[in-house]
Amino acid sequence: MPILEASGIRKQFGGVVALAGADFSLDAGAVHALIGSNGCGKSTLCKIIAGSVAADAGTIRLDGNPVSFSDPQEAAAAGIGVFYQELSLVRPMTVAENIYLGREPRMRTGLLDRDALRSQAENALEQFRSVIGTGVHPDARVADLSADQSQLIEILKVLAANPRIIILDEATAALDRNQVDAVFHRIRALKADGCAIIFITHRMDEVFEIADRVTVMRNGLTVLSQPIGQTSHDEIVAAMVGDVMPPARRERKHVPAQETALEVEQLSAAKLAGVSFKARRGEILGLGGLHGQGQSALLRALFGALPLKAGSIQVDGKRLAPKGPRTVMRRSIAYVSGDRARHGVMAIRPIFENLVISLLSRERRVVVQTERLERETRPFIERLKLKFSSLQATVAELSGGNQQKVVLARWLATHPSVLLLDDPTKGIDIQTKEDLYSTMDELCSQGVCILLHSSDDEELLGISDRVLVFNGGRIVAELTGEQRNRQALYEAAYATAPAAA
Amino acid sequence: MKSTLRLSGHRHPYLMAAVVFLVLCVVNAILQPSFLKFGVATSNVAAFLPMALVAIGQTYVVLASDIDLSAGAIVSVVNVVVVSIIEGMGGTGASIAAGLTLGIAVGLICGAVNGLCVAYLRFQPIVTTFATGIVFAGFALWVLPEAGRQVPPEFYLAYAGTVLGVPTVLWILLAAIAFAGVIARTRFYQALRATGGNIQAAYQTGVPVARVRLRAYLLSGLFAALAGLALVGETASGDPLIGGALTLASVTAVVLGGTALSGCIGGVAGSILGAFILGLINNVIFFAQLPFAWQGLIQGLIILAALAGGVVMARGRQET
Repeated sequence: MPILEASGIRKQFGGVVALAGADFSLDAGAVHALIGSNGCGKSTLCKIIAGSVAADAGTIRLDGNPVSFSDPQEAAAAGIGVFYQELSLVRPMTVAENIYLGREPRMRTGLLDRDALRSQAENALEQFRSVIGTGVHPDARVADLSADQSQLIEILKVLAANPRIIILDEATAALDRNQVDAVFHRIRALKADGCAIIFITHRMDEVFEIADRVTVMRNGLTVLSQPIGQTSHDEIVAAMVGDVMPPARRERKHVPAQETALEVEQLSAAKLAGVSFKARRGEILGLGGLHGQGQSALLRALFGALPLKAGSIQVDGKRLAPKGPRTVMRRSIAYVSGDRARHGVMAIRPIFENLVISLLSRERRVVVQTERLERETRPFIERLKLKFSSLQATVAELSGGNQQKVVLARWLATHPSVLLLDDPTKGIDIQTKEDLYSTMDELCSQGVCILLHSSDDEELLGISDRVLVFNGGRIVAELTGEQRNRQALYEAAYATAPAAA
Repeated sequence: MKSTLRLSGHRHPYLMAAVVFLVLCVVNAILQPSFLKFGVATSNVAAFLPMALVAIGQTYVVLASDIDLSAGAIVSVVNVVVVSIIEGMGGTGASIAAGLTLGIAVGLICGAVNGLCVAYLRFQPIVTTFATGIVFAGFALWVLPEAGRQVPPEFYLAYAGTVLGVPTVLWILLAAIAFAGVIARTRFYQALRATGGNIQAAYQTGVPVARVRLRAYLLSGLFAALAGLALVGETASGDPLIGGALTLASVTAVVLGGTALSGCIGGVAGSILGAFILGLINNVIFFAQLPFAWQGLIQGLIILAALAGGVVMARGRQET
């Protein structure tokens, strides 16, 4: 009998279906790899098992008994331990305080036993002593640790609760090979003790190295579940990709020119390790790969929103030093984020103010000339088919798609020569997407160079002229012509990441 | 030197407050030669005690990354309720006991109201406690519309007197420090700091974040009540406006003491020092015989300077 069994799990966030009846079963003393592309529902499934998200439908059985956890505390009490991808560490607190948060050793008086806390943490750290690097001791603050060290501390924190079901959601993402070996060593010991482990990773070689069984998810459904010995790398990739149909190529008017619009050499920043490429006028250059491999970081670095460590950028043959969005804007570069709420709209302000903010901050005038600004933005509102009651209505009244059009129109009004699109169609409806695609096509025919990052692989492959595939902060492949298909994209995206930067 | 300072800044966020405190003590001793005499020191402690108590309670709320802008109003409510009960019951020993007990109960109830609104109903802490503060202050005015009433001499003589040769006010301060020392060694305190440092992480780790925040507000209510009682002992009467200035003074003391308004970092020791710093600044200005017009200016500048020192050290902390 499986120790944990989830069946028919459904979950919807707003209008987006995250899980459409997923099934999953976990045996004691086994490592079960759970894989799938961005947004396939695996993280949501884990959060439901861990009690931090409630399912809309479906049952979870623990040791054969139906359970439903209303918060992480209940799941933890039932012996479920979770390594959270975004980490659950309190950065200003120490390593020892973090590992034993909520289960600190106490003296007979009920007060904390700080000596015991320190020595227990010392013992826990011993497991990773040879790979964790310098500066990690029980009294070190987590804020002073590097990303890989923090991940190892999060692992120790999960294990400190002695869980019998362990969910590791990309627990090895920031680790180097030696650190992964040390973690696997520990996982094998846990397995021998009868623990059940759900192992989520994007590294295919790790799946074959550690897993006993593999389950592949796609579009909120489990599409493959096999003992590791009865499947293959190709079968798994095929299951992730689904129907190996070439993505629909859109009709397009634009033809990329030969002139280089943007040239980037050896660009390094947080999450970027020496990225070089050229983008041409009138070209849509796609940036693909798994989530968070440097695509978004590149766009924000180019726009001056992320500090550079090294590298050079040339726009139209002239050097660009991105000191901040203000300086970059003046070189006719525009950036549109898909994260509208955080980086895009000022929701409670009128549409008009949202539209002209880019013009205002570029032209440094003291007095706002309302009529002229309206004249300048009007054509873009019309081109994007923005639907609104009045320019004085607040942006919050618009649908997500129309909000995104406002943000795009804001930037188009500055007549950019390079347009940076950071997942611009996230969470918007199909009709709006079509409007955006045709606008992009039109802009390219006019010689604009577009850098497009999209988490929707279909869209990325369908509208880009070329696709650069990112993995671990580097460009690992360039897909052109017929190579622009899912198979090639996944092969490059799921390959072992080059040594962590 | 610089690196040791930074290191200390990280381990002991209240170090800057200690330095400023000592400097102010020296300046005060120069301006007022009797400063170091036991009697004068005791009267200073008595004068600073209410603010120190409110600051202790405020520290717990701030560590959870919340704030209590009603603390001063709770002081007023407790002050007038206690005086009214004691007078109303005839000023007997039993009435004093009832007044003390009910005073503390009122403080806890006020704290519970704040905590329930902020932690369970998820109201915004600044606005919520600002609003409940107005309600509490209004209640205090309703109980006692203007300063007055009397407590029996036993009360204020005991407060001004000594127990086992040690002044009562010192006992109260020591008891408060001991209490804070115990709290700092509980699981609750770790949960409190974790909640202030990263509430999402704390929740995912199974920390009962709502209960933790509620308890912080209860502690703030408790210490505000103690401050209200201390003021009864100090003034021997009730005043519905007595606590008003203590709210922002307590927040200032907490920040001067090195506790981060963003939560997690800091502690009670710094806040007590911060409260004493604020008190000493007033002393120094008084004994320096500055013209009245200069007092506010100098007071503000000294507070800014002390804060600047803390900021410089916090920068060092982040760079290491």
